Amino acid sequence: MRLKMNFSRITVIFFLVTSVLASLTGLKAGDRLRIVTTTPDLASIANEIGGERVETFAIAKGYQDPHFVDAKPSYIIELQKADMFIQMGLDLEIGWAPPLLDGARNPDILPGGKGYLDASAGVPLLQVPTGDPATLRAQGDIHIYGNPHYWLDPLRGKIIARNIFGGLARLQPENRAEFQKNLDLFDQKLDQEMAKWEKQMQPYRGTKIVAFHNSWPYFEERFGLQIVGFIEPKPGIPPTPKHLVEVIKTMQEQGVKIIIISPYYSQKSSELVASKTGAKVLELATSVEAFPGINDYFALFDYNLGKMLQAFQESGNN
Amino acid sequence: MKILPFLFLFVLIPGLISLSAQTALPDTASRESAPAPAAENLGDAALEAELAEQLGAEADTTAAKPQSSPALQGSQARPGGLLNPQISAIGSFVAAGTEKEAVVKPLNLGLSEAEFSFQAYVDPYSRADFYFAFGSETEDPFLGPDSEAAASGEFEAELEEAYLTILSLPFGLQIKAGKFRSNFGRINPVHPHALDYIDYPRMYVNYLGGEGLSDKGAALNWLIPNPLDFYQELSLEVTSAALDGPSFQGGSKHLLYLGHLKNFFDLNDNTTLELGLSGIYGPNNAEGDKTAIGAADLTLIWKPLRYNRYRSFAWTTEALFSNRKMPGEEVNSYALYSFMRYQIGRRWFIGARYDYSEFPEHNCRNEKAYSAMLNFYATEFQKIELQFQHGVPAEFDSFNRVLLRAVFVIGAHGAHKY
Repeated sequence: MRLKMNFSRITVIFFLVTSVLASLTGLKAGDRLRIVTTTPDLASIANEIGGERVETFAIAKGYQDPHFVDAKPSYIIELQKADMFIQMGLDLEIGWAPPLLDGARNPDILPGGKGYLDASAGVPLLQVPTGDPATLRAQGDIHIYGNPHYWLDPLRGKIIARNIFGGLARLQPENRAEFQKNLDLFDQKLDQEMAKWEKQMQPYRGTKIVAFHNSWPYFEERFGLQIVGFIEPKPGIPPTPKHLVEVIKTMQEQGVKIIIISPYYSQKSSELVASKTGAKVLELATSVEAFPGINDYFALFDYNLGKMLQAFQESGNN
Repeated sequence: MKILPFLFLFVLIPGLISLSAQTALPDTASRESAPAPAAENLGDAALEAELAEQLGAEADTTAAKPQSSPALQGSQARPGGLLNPQISAIGSFVAAGTEKEAVVKPLNLGLSEAEFSFQAYVDPYSRADFYFAFGSETEDPFLGPDSEAAASGEFEAELEEAYLTILSLPFGLQIKAGKFRSNFGRINPVHPHALDYIDYPRMYVNYLGGEGLSDKGAALNWLIPNPLDFYQELSLEVTSAALDGPSFQGGSKHLLYLGHLKNFFDLNDNTTLELGLSGIYGPNNAEGDKTAIGAADLTLIWKPLRYNRYRSFAWTTEALFSNRKMPGEEVNSYALYSFMRYQIGRRWFIGARYDYSEFPEHNCRNEKAYSAMLNFYATEFQKIELQFQHGVPAEFDSFNRVLLRAVFVIGAHGAHKY
């Protein structure tokens, strides 16, 4: 059966109806600053500094790979209403944040806008590539500015907090003193916790471990660990049997008992290596909210260090 | 009289841009100065109006100054080519083998396309995107031996897309102007090498052309506010009909009009549903007879957030109805395709597609195709795909063919469409 329809007329009517149906409610203008962050770590620190003055929404979940978030159009709605957008930067979010920002129709949060904030400003970076940029991708997923997982060092977290403070004070200069107070409190608490964490880790300084992906150089440096190998042959390249044999040899030679891995990777190859070496696979949190109970930036390190300490004690590593 | 609409636009667009820029006026003094008294805030609107009046035409240049302290932006300068746009080059190698009697050449292989893109922000208001392609005509076994003979293998340069997007106008609007792939259906805006199958669906080939619909003109995109807070975007495009396609042809005084409504729903954290509705209306010959096309597309994606690089499922179905008017004749016809893809591992995907298509000028003839796909993603920058197809052309014998494609990209890291 074939309907005789005038499609042009239907199209016109259809769009008219849609336009009428779409209620023209203005955007919600709440008192609190609406902050959209790329990861829950940034949201947690923004909550610490902004306190009651802000409400945050993190696009990536804590158990998600922040390199590979899907740019779902629904995030655009969040960004359209945002007063501030905070990203980790260093191309961590290059695969998904730009189209979301461009789609948001919100000039305040575009690069250069008053609500746009790159948390990496002023952060001392590790593993900044020095070679010819055109040869970089032969080394796998290398970030041209340096390794972007800097939030896994609590002291660099202080710089993130300072950057967020600057952004908030820019948007709400009348609350600057309050944000400053929150920043000071955050720094103090971090110093206290840092002293505790360093003390906990002191007996295990220099412990050799293996990681699945190169996400941990800042964590490694801060807590005195020594990552001697990766399950991935090159960043972003899935493990091959040949490479795993090398990893197993390294682990056996150097007495490595722990493999750390982020929650979003398959543990199959790591478990295989562990079974051949008697090591233990530790699933660590790469971000706040990766696992239940990791509710803020401090809990992220409590969780990860707690897991490591337990594993060190069990394996008699010291 | 005809100049009036143009004058109107010329006044309207700069007006909208300066309106949007005012929301982004810098708080340059804020970092140093004492908190502003609350009473002052009440008069903001009045003061703004006064300043706007006094600044007159200079308002624009003020707003274009840097919005914030550079120290708070990203700390690292982009190494090399400081002010160059993001540049990338994409190569697409295709090999095709067809098992069929009337084949001119049983095996075709070689580079099918090289594409170069340049992208950057133009200024605080807009961005520009350029795509240049060098493609060689490939054979289409659905069209019989003639098309195979026509596939000379010579490369022809083509301006695939070149457009300006004004990003943040008030009321959730964006404007796009230039030459661009029309916002029709689910896949028309996507460059063919980014699709999960090697041959373009028959629906698109037969109604919009072998590379889809792309025209010169302008588009207005409106993000529609709605009480349910879901993503709903309406695109209206007016283009010049500088086309030589199966449904739409240039040469008349008429323009091409296109509307697309995209609705996007998060069913849960892992599952999304997209429903698109499209309509096109424009001339089908130099005399200005008209064709109207209405289409719907539905895409369901399941991708578990935590393991989104290991498992996923996507199902897209698109259908179009065409009404073609010609002197003494009117043809209603339709076409559809449905494609499913399942990710079986970090690098591997399997897919299947069914195509059914009539023709703009004939609804008594149709063609069908059954395809199976295997995709291997070596990295984000290289994929290798294999497609087996059983085709049932309208006028020729059915055939089987195998297609192999490698797509590789160097340069700027592009973002992925969801």
